[in-house]
This record gives sequence, structure tokens and C-alpha cells, in this order.
Amino acid sequence: MADVKTEQSFFHQPWRRRLPLLPALVFTVLITQIPFLMSIFYSLTNWKIIPPSPRKLVWFKNYARLVTSDDKFFREAAGVTVRMTVFAVLISLVLGTLFAILLDRKFFGQGFVRTLLITPFLIMPVVAGLIWKLQMFNSLYGVLNWVLNKFGIDSIEFVSKHPTSSIVTVLVWQWTPFMMLIMLAGLQGQPSDVLEAAKVDGASSFGVFRQLTLPHLRPYFELGTLLGTIYIVQAFDHVAVMTGGGPGSTNIPYFVFKRSIGGGWLFGRASAYSIVVVVAALIIANLSLRLLSGLLEGEDIV
Amino acid sequence: MRPASTKRTGRSLAALAALGMVVAACGSSSKTDATATTAAPAAAAVTTAAPAATDAATTAAAPAATDAATTAAAPAATKELNVAIVGNPQMEDIAKLTPELFTAKTGIKVNYSILGEGDLRQVTTRDVASGGKQFDVMMIGMFEAPQFGASGLLTDLTPLATADKTYNVDDIISSVRGGLSADGKLYAAPFYAESSFLMYRKDVLEKAGLTMPAAPTWDEVAKIAKAVNTPDMAGICLRGKPGWGDLGAAFTTVLNTFGGTWWKANDDGSIGAAQVDQPEFKEALSFYVDLVKTAGEKDAANSSYNECTKAMQDGKAAMWYDATVAASNLEGDNSPIKGKLGYALAPTKVTKASGWLWSWALAIPKSTKDVDAAWQYLSFATGPQYLKDAGTRIAGGWAGIPPGTRKSTYEIPEYQKAAAAFAQPTLDAMAAAPIDNPGTTKRPGLPGVQYVGVPEFQDVGTQCTELFSAVIAGQKDIDAALKDCQGIASQASAG
Repeated sequence: MADVKTEQSFFHQPWRRRLPLLPALVFTVLITQIPFLMSIFYSLTNWKIIPPSPRKLVWFKNYARLVTSDDKFFREAAGVTVRMTVFAVLISLVLGTLFAILLDRKFFGQGFVRTLLITPFLIMPVVAGLIWKLQMFNSLYGVLNWVLNKFGIDSIEFVSKHPTSSIVTVLVWQWTPFMMLIMLAGLQGQPSDVLEAAKVDGASSFGVFRQLTLPHLRPYFELGTLLGTIYIVQAFDHVAVMTGGGPGSTNIPYFVFKRSIGGGWLFGRASAYSIVVVVAALIIANLSLRLLSGLLEGEDIV
Repeated sequence: MRPASTKRTGRSLAALAALGMVVAACGSSSKTDATATTAAPAAAAVTTAAPAATDAATTAAAPAATDAATTAAAPAATKELNVAIVGNPQMEDIAKLTPELFTAKTGIKVNYSILGEGDLRQVTTRDVASGGKQFDVMMIGMFEAPQFGASGLLTDLTPLATADKTYNVDDIISSVRGGLSADGKLYAAPFYAESSFLMYRKDVLEKAGLTMPAAPTWDEVAKIAKAVNTPDMAGICLRGKPGWGDLGAAFTTVLNTFGGTWWKANDDGSIGAAQVDQPEFKEALSFYVDLVKTAGEKDAANSSYNECTKAMQDGKAAMWYDATVAASNLEGDNSPIKGKLGYALAPTKVTKASGWLWSWALAIPKSTKDVDAAWQYLSFATGPQYLKDAGTRIAGGWAGIPPGTRKSTYEIPEYQKAAAAFAQPTLDAMAAAPIDNPGTTKRPGLPGVQYVGVPEFQDVGTQCTELFSAVIAGQKDIDAALKDCQGIASQASAG
């Protein structure tokens, strides 16, 4: 008797509990999945709105273009996206770890310093891009060139000559605090007894860092990489305000924008690009999430 | 336990309701302010004092939802127009003067969205082509007006303009009117119009012992630019920023006069084979890039109209090839180089004239409901009276009023005096602009000088100028850029 009753409530309860969530779920499906299905449909057409022309099904022509030589620029944009993301994530991860190690000790004004270090992460991407473009990188009145001139070096037109590095610099500036926070959480979660035991055993502080702290930080590196990648892959604002596109700075989000509402008006083709990006992102995200969930399970056991 | 918890729930509910009412009241009062500036404050107070939060919300939403629900105030006082304009000085002036000169007289409130050129194009094209109803009046250029008009997206202004006695439509300079029309129907009212010419510092050239011919060739200009170029002052300022309306416009006039072109035209006027791989194209691009690299402004790949205006005003450039409207800013009462400038026709090579023709103009999309109110605004903004009113009110003085649209502008005595240096060169340049025959070959699409009058040019021009700008920055090799651009242009001709 008792068994049957638990089985019943086991069967019924979750549904009743989740029922209030249903409207939100349906809403989410409506506003995310229906547009996605429509994009798939658009990607099979030759839809363009300027000049207004009839929409015709062209099936997989838009996708076929991606592998033939026609869409060299899409592949270039993909290359820029990969370079931009890899460099921005790695550099901000390294810098973030360094700052976290420096912050992971008691000193006067620690809270104040931490707040200052976090500030760049709180600034809107458009504002950050404009500040860097106009105040730091500018060749006539930028701070960086003013410093260079003091050392007798000629002004460098950073943004137009080195677009990828300029944008990566701003991304690193904005994302280092984020990485720092994750790493700081990792460092502060380190069991102090183990560290003390290592010191008693006579380990050097570099040895402790290399053999205890770094392995302990591994899941935090993975988490930082995953989250950082997800956000930096879609960087759009920085590109739009700093260079407005061009070789070396047009990444995939900006490219898709340019081909559709940004002046290309080729909605069919732009939809195909987006679908390809979604599929690629799904594969990468799946692999990374598997890695991450393995990591979370590991946490549970420890 | 139970009574206590219900009490608490009741209290928190009450608090929520109160909060809701406050929010709704704030919303409603600000809405009322926005829609009816002249409505009596008492009316607003009554609305906000509605008993329940929901009621307040609905009454607040009502005036916004239906324009007709304007029982409290006089009907004219609550009319509103949403207008999108480009953020150039002359447009910013009119945005400042509208409440005094227009709203006070007609009761029509104008909500401006002032956007950069690129953003404006995205917003207006999307709005007009998808039948969106975001704007009642929008500013478009000579590139868009005939294309949108011919596609049936804009209201034909001809009957409205001829019926309006004060507007005097025949006063509009004919080449401008022609450029904004399709099949004889006027689709946009010109706010300002321009050609391109060469502006130069007379004092700088004089000091170097050089003289500028009235109709120079590009070779002469390049020679002078290189001669007066110093580390502190560029010889010439030229557009280098990507965009078909930025670098694309200045470069295409050079391309035309070097005998090159973007596409061949088919017999029916459609886009033929791409011509970017032709020697004339390379010659024109090499010339442009070489000139801007050896004697051009700093960071040229990032410079366009606004950057060059600043460079000229700061004395950082000796010459500037750009729009004639720029002279209004350089000769304005608030300009440090006022009176130091000379003007010459757009430089040429193998053609007789190379200046462009452009106008920023106001159009009424087909989706606009209140066409009469919209026309009232157009008649104010582009009519002869505004030009006279603006002269005494704007910071730049008479020299800064929107030029190039009306013959009568050039007959205002104050304007003749203030704009003595550039009024005639502007008219000459506009008259010389080779709108129907800009290059040496027949071109596809509608007439246009600094662009090709086909919709595809926007995208092709922008993509290619991104590459050319990278060449100017020294990031990309000229042959590689031309090869890629030829590929892009060929795709457009393939359809």
C-alpha cells in the first residue's frame, strides 16, 4: 500500500510542480524556435528586400555557395572570429589569473582595488569601443600615440593598420576582470590545510603553485574558457564602433549583419550564414558542455 | 499562523497595488506630456487619479494608441510626426529651430531621430521596404529617392507641392529636382543639395608660390598637394573611410574621370560585366591611394567628411576635395579659417567635368497616415521661408543655411554677401555635374555620378571600399583588393 502511494505521488508530483513553469516554457519556445524555423525556411530562398522582389525557393544554393569560391568573405570572417576569440580568451585568462593571484591575499584597501579591477567589465561594449578608439588609439590625440611620441616614436594608426589586435586589446581589457573573478573564486576555494601541509613538508611557494594550485584551478580555467568563448564569439559592438568592418575586423556576427540589414539586404543568404553558425555553435557548445558537466560531477564527488 | 500569513499576503498585495498605481501614474503623466504638450495640467491630474492601477494604465495607453483620442486639447495640438534625419550640421540646426518656427505655428510636434548616415540608411530602407510605420517623414538621398519612388514605396509629392502656393516648387534647381524624381514625379523634397569641388587655402598656396587653375586636372592637384604637404599640414584631405557614400563617392568621381567604371551596361540598362579588373580602374585607384598616402591626412583610412571638416578648420590640411556644402561650414561665422579659402571645379582627367550631384531630401513613405501633416512639415523644412528664418538664427549665420536647393536662396541679399566666396562656385559646380553622362561609357541603372543607380551598388560599393580602405591603411595589396572587388561586383551582375 505504502509503496503504491509513493509511486503515484512520484509519478504525479513533478508534473504538478512544474505546471506553473509551462507558460514560460511555451513562450520561450514560441519566441525562439519559431523564428529559428522561419530562418531555416528563409535560408532556402533568394529573399532580398531591395529592390522588393518575389521570394523564390532556391533550396540549397545558398549553402552550396559557402563551399565554392564565391563566399571567400564568409570564410575570412570565420577566420577572424576564430583568431579574435582565441587570442582574447587566452590573454584575458592569463591576465585574469595573474590579477587573481595578486588579489588573493589580505592587504589594506583590497576591496577597493578589487572594485577598480572589475570596472572595465561593467562598461557597455559600445562605450568601451569608443573610449579606446577615440581616446587611446587615435593617431592625432590618442593617449597611446602621445606616449609613443614622448619616446620619439612616430604615431601608429592602430585601428586602421592593426584592426584585429586593436579589437582584441579592448576585448581583453573588458574580459580580464571576468576571468579574474572566476579565478579568484577558485583560489579562495582552495583548502588551506593542504597548503599548510605542503609548507610543513618544505615545498617552495612556486612548487605549491605548480603542483597544488594549478591542478585545483583546472575546472575554473575550463569554465572561464567556455563562458568567455560563448560571449566573445558574438562580439559585435566593438567591431561596429571601432572599425565598421573591413579585412581583419569583420567577424561572423558583423558579416551577417552587413549582408542583411546592414546594406546587403540579402536575407536568404544571411539566413544561411546564420544557420551554419548555429550548427557549428551547437557542436562546439555540446562538446564543451560535456566537458563542463564532467567537471561538475567531479565537484560533487569531492 | 494562518490569519497572520493572510494578513501579510493582504498587506503585500496592497503594497504591490500601490506600487502598480504609482508606476502607472508616472507612465500616464509622462505619456500625456509627450503627446499633448498644451493639454491643461488638470487633465493629466485627472487621468493619474484613476481609482485602480489597471484603469490608470488603460487611460494612459489610450492617447498613445489612437491619435484620435485627443478630446482634452485642441485637435491640432496633439499631432505628432516622427522624422528621421541625418546628423549633419544643417539638419541639427533645423531640429533646434523646429519648436519655435514650426510647432508654435501649426501645433504639430516633431520627434526627430538624428542618425549617422549609415544608420539612417539601414533604418529608413528597412522601414520603407518592409512597410514599417516607424517614421512619417524620412530623409533619404538622391540614390534612394528615384529607386524607392519607382518601386512604389513613396508618396508622390508633385500634386502636394504644386497645390501649395507658398512652396513654389518651380524655384527648386532643376538638376536637383530631376535627380529626386522618377518618371517626372517628385518623390522627395530637397533639404540641401550639393556638388563636389576642390577647396584650398589661398594663403598656403600663395606662400608656396603656387596658383590653382579654376578648372584643374587631377595631375595638377596632385602636384600642388605634394608641394604644400608638410608634417603639420596635409597637402590634401580625401575620404578614406569605407562606405559607398564615403570613400565610394569621392573615389567614383575620380574613377569616372579616369575613364573607368564599375559595370558595363546591358542594352536594357541592367548590370553587365564587372569592369573592376580593367586598367582604368587600377589606374584610378592607384592614383587615389598614392595621393592620399603621400600627401593626404593622417589616418586617412578612418577619415571622411566630418574628419576632413575638422582637419581643415584646425589648419591641418591645405586642400580638400569634397561636397560643396562643406564650404558653408568652413565659411561660417564660427569657423577659424573663414575667408581664407579658394574654390575650384572638381579636378578632371579625361572627361570634361567630374563633380558629383547629391541631395539629402525629405520623403513621405506610403505607410504614413497623416500625409497632410507630413507635407506641412516638408513645406516648412524645405520651403523658401525657412531659409530666410534660419539665416538670423543659426550659429553659422547666413553662410550656414542649407544651400543648393532653390534659385531664390542665391537672390537673398544677406546670403549673397555672406556666401560671396562660394555661392557662385557652388552653382557652377552643380551646373557642371555630369549627371547623365558621368564617365566615358554607358552605365547601368538610373542616373548618378558618384554612385551607380542600381540597388546592388550599396552592397558592392561598401564591400569594395572596405578593401580599398585597407589598401590606404597599408593592410592590403592593391592587386589583391582589385581581384576581390571584381569578384564581388561580378556576383551582382550574375544576379
